Amino acid sequence: MEQAAVVSFWFAMALYLVATVLYAYHFVAKRPVFSWYATFATGAGFLAHTASIGLHWGATGQTPITGAFNSLSLAAWTLVLIYFVVEHLVKLKLYGAVLVPLAFIAMALGQILQGSESFELSQAALSQLDSWRVAMHVAIIMIANAGFAVGAAASGVYLLQGAQLKKHKSSALMKRLPSLTQTQDLARRAIMLAYPLYTAGMLLGIVRAIEFDLPYWWFDPRVMTSGVVWAIFCSYLLLHYRRGASGKLLARLALVGLVAVIILSILARTLPTGFHIFGL
Amino acid sequence: MHLTLVGLSHKTAPVEIREKLTFPAHRQEEALSLLLSTPEVAEAVVLSTCNRTEIYAVTAAGTDGSGAVVDFLADYHDLDRHELVRYLYFSEGEAVVRHLFRVVASLDSMVIGEAQILGQVKEAYEHAFANDSAGRIFNKLFRQSFEVGKRVRSETDIGENAVSISYAAVELAKKVFDSLDGRTVLILGAGKMSELTAKHLVSNGVKTVLVANRTYERAQELACRFCGLAIRYDELFERMREADIVISSTAATSYVVTKDDVAAARKGRRGQPLFLIDIAVPRDIDPDVNQLDDVFLYDIDDLSGVVESNLEERMREARRAEEIIGEEMAAFERWIESMEVVPTVAAIRAKAEQVRSAELEKALKRLGGLSEKELKTVDALTTSIVNKMLHGPTARLKMVAGEKDGYTYVEAARFLYGLDSNPEGKAAHAGLIRSLFGRAERAAERAADKGTQSEMGDTIGC
Repeated sequence: MEQAAVVSFWFAMALYLVATVLYAYHFVAKRPVFSWYATFATGAGFLAHTASIGLHWGATGQTPITGAFNSLSLAAWTLVLIYFVVEHLVKLKLYGAVLVPLAFIAMALGQILQGSESFELSQAALSQLDSWRVAMHVAIIMIANAGFAVGAAASGVYLLQGAQLKKHKSSALMKRLPSLTQTQDLARRAIMLAYPLYTAGMLLGIVRAIEFDLPYWWFDPRVMTSGVVWAIFCSYLLLHYRRGASGKLLARLALVGLVAVIILSILARTLPTGFHIFGL
Repeated sequence: MHLTLVGLSHKTAPVEIREKLTFPAHRQEEALSLLLSTPEVAEAVVLSTCNRTEIYAVTAAGTDGSGAVVDFLADYHDLDRHELVRYLYFSEGEAVVRHLFRVVASLDSMVIGEAQILGQVKEAYEHAFANDSAGRIFNKLFRQSFEVGKRVRSETDIGENAVSISYAAVELAKKVFDSLDGRTVLILGAGKMSELTAKHLVSNGVKTVLVANRTYERAQELACRFCGLAIRYDELFERMREADIVISSTAATSYVVTKDDVAAARKGRRGQPLFLIDIAVPRDIDPDVNQLDDVFLYDIDDLSGVVESNLEERMREARRAEEIIGEEMAAFERWIESMEVVPTVAAIRAKAEQVRSAELEKALKRLGGLSEKELKTVDALTTSIVNKMLHGPTARLKMVAGEKDGYTYVEAARFLYGLDSNPEGKAAHAGLIRSLFGRAERAAERAADKGTQSEMGDTIGC
């Protein structure tokens, strides 16, 4: 079963890569047939990915939230799922060229980081994980992170389109990119939905840390980075709703927020300190 | 059968000539009927638009089809034939197919990529179809040309980019706001160009039109045309906060909108973009305004630049359209080749030879033990029978193929000998029957109209 999980995982990665190329080609060449193939490849990859997670779980009995490999794979899975929701809502394939490769990179990094972990989960640690609060904490934060990624992707597209419009030249890129207000709305809505989820996920984690009476729980590098992520997206919403900040500033802030999420998910994981030993 | 095109367009004739050679819809029936009454013309379609008049005809081989069409044009419009010929262009055979495909793809239009022409060609074909002047060949040719039109529109961006200043402004506004539904436009100055641009914006969904002018009455007058609201000039910057798009076209000699004015108007817009179009010369809006976040300023030169690059883009797309035309031409040529007499005769002979060889082989197996001389004799005998059987029909087929309705014989032969198992995915004889009966009915009607007693058989050459 474990072997089947590995094969499905690589199969999913390959399909996401194919989908990325097809989405990019569709964006450049504007051939509708390629967008259909791209969605098909993403869908097939998603099914293979789901099977891989399920098979891995069944084979090892390891919750898919333990370790870099599992958590990054689950993060990629959530991102693809959220992408499908976005594609359905905004009817734009462009974001596939941004979000699907992001999922691919997350899976590849999970694969690379897999060998670098030098911890064995004790029975006590596994029992700590066996809690609905921990599962919810991880699931909610992953969905929120995917939402932030969508917001940042839309913000990146906003900055790109804004720069094109400022240049006063009618370029092919300008024609292919969506309008400013559409990207702005998508970014704002994604962040507006992701932010309360992120807050709820953080609170669940804090409650669990207090329950276990962990000393200096706030001193964990991942807790601190998540505080930074929370503060960045809080500023985003405050600046938008209270101060009426410019679209450009907000878009940059969303990108900074995504960088913080990446640091939290990947770099903070490699630090040897902290209690987030499960690789969450 | 022979494809012939005689026409004139904006490229070859001035409007004074073009306007004399139009065929309005209500006169198409009469024109088509006259064209078909000439012995050289078997099928005809008349395309008449403001920029072109073209007559597509299937003419009998070995006749002066083009001359007959020119005579028709000169007689119908009462023009001097020699004078008329100066403005006409002529095409024959494959060139006609290419020309029609280029016309439908709007590569031959005054503005490359314009969408109207496809509808106009469809209309011309529908007239011809309704008046029984489009037969087997034109049914295939024109239907395929519509495919070309559709493919060019869907597979290239030939019609995507605006090629006029006012449309370019609308197109850019849509890149800023996605949809213009419910947006507010502020017109500063009541010039003609700003009015035209506002008109396009309103037709694209802009809901509120605010007009500011130094002369309040003039602002009211313009606002009235768009069911908008005239505002006092001193309220301009106050009201600019409500606007999504500002069109400026005043006669002022210095900037009337500065960076500070726009920066102040931008406050409280929650990052909503502001699109400013300055079509005044000298400019009304300080170009530094473009440095502000969420503010996009385009002056007349910027818009002209966009139009120019859009035209270049259309030219690039035109090359892709030519490739599509090439593919579709190859498909049409394959079809038309199947209607040619030489490949048909060759196919009949090949089929007969195949049957002869198979039957001879079977017979020789049964006979057994024949000497070489006997074998040669049997072989020569069967070959001779086949040749004699085929000689008459193939010779007559070659003879009549060049006539006005010759391709119907070719098609009949292909059907009778079973050369096309299922052409076009339809019953093999459907086209033939339609073709024969359609032509027969038309011939009978024409004969009846003339009060003659021509036999139907004469017309179809039986």
